[in-house]
Amino acid sequence: MAFKDRVVPTIRIGDALLVPIQIDLDDKTVERLQTQLLEEIQEHRVRAVILDVRMVEVIDSYISYTLSETAAMAHLMGCRTVICGIQPPVALTLAQMGIELQGFLVARDLEHAMGLVY
Amino acid sequence: MDGKLRELLDISENDFDVVVRITREEDIAIARQMAKQLAQELGFSLADVTKVATAVSELARNIYRYAQTGKIMIRKRLEESGGPTIQVVAADRGPGIESVDRVLARGYTTHERSLGIGLPGVRRLMDFCEIASKVGTGTVVRVEKRRRKF
Ligand SMILES: Nc1ncnc2c1ncn2[C@@H]1O[C@H](COP(=O)(O)OP(=O)(O)OP(=O)(O)O)[C@@H](O)[C@H]1O
Ligand SMILES: [Mg+2]
Repeated sequence: MAFKDRVVPTIRIGDALLVPIQIDLDDKTVERLQTQLLEEIQEHRVRAVILDVRMVEVIDSYISYTLSETAAMAHLMGCRTVICGIQPPVALTLAQMGIELQGFLVARDLEHAMGLVY
Repeated sequence: MDGKLRELLDISENDFDVVVRITREEDIAIARQMAKQLAQELGFSLADVTKVATAVSELARNIYRYAQTGKIMIRKRLEESGGPTIQVVAADRGPGIESVDRVLARGYTTHERSLGIGLPGVRRLMDFCEIASKVGTGTVVRVEKRRRKF
């Protein structure tokens, strides 16, 4: 995938793809992120994607829907998805809305995420 | 219900601190950002700032998705009896909602890529939530949240 088409820079660690999200997730961005991740999974044959959402301040129903959909697609491509670093206020809001990030393994931090992958 | 909807649709923009017109997808993020800022100015906790921003994100997206255009109006109220309060009105003259009771049930959606938890979620995140809507006229959702002492 051409560098300019990437919404988020990714880092490969072994056969895992680390995705630190450091931008505001608006609708277009989250959709482009989905496309990017699926392409990178295929291109690099990674077996796990780790989404680091430490910097993300709002996750609403549509964002969580799209992220879960991405996890489901990745699963069908033989790839695990881990989400890590959900901030306490975001976790509280998701819990109150009854949103479960389906399809994701959830990790406390990056180290925990790597542990889940290997 | 009809009178209420008219009244809310005609509410004056001048009574609000911020008015965000929703016409493009980017406006959803702008509305969310403005809500966050006002909640912060009122001294809301980080958890409550996030809840208000998330609720506004849901309301703005519904306008964009179902009515195409509309507006989000936000104001700070310091003198409310319950303490400092943030009030949000999301108004559109779109297709309207057939059954408000039904959309407040979790999982109801007319959109194919959705969880159908936007409005039920908003109701849980905020202290007050009122929906007035009529098919063919439009929809107004009015919500508010008080500052918690912590
Ligand atoms: N402003 C509006 N105008 C017309 N119809 C609306 C409006 N807001 C919501 N609706 C209707 O109410 C339904 C439920 O809305 P709600 O926000 O709860 O869920 P959703 O938008 O379908 O999915 P989600 O918010 O979880 O992505 C929508 O599918 C739509 O049919
Ligand atoms: Mg919605």
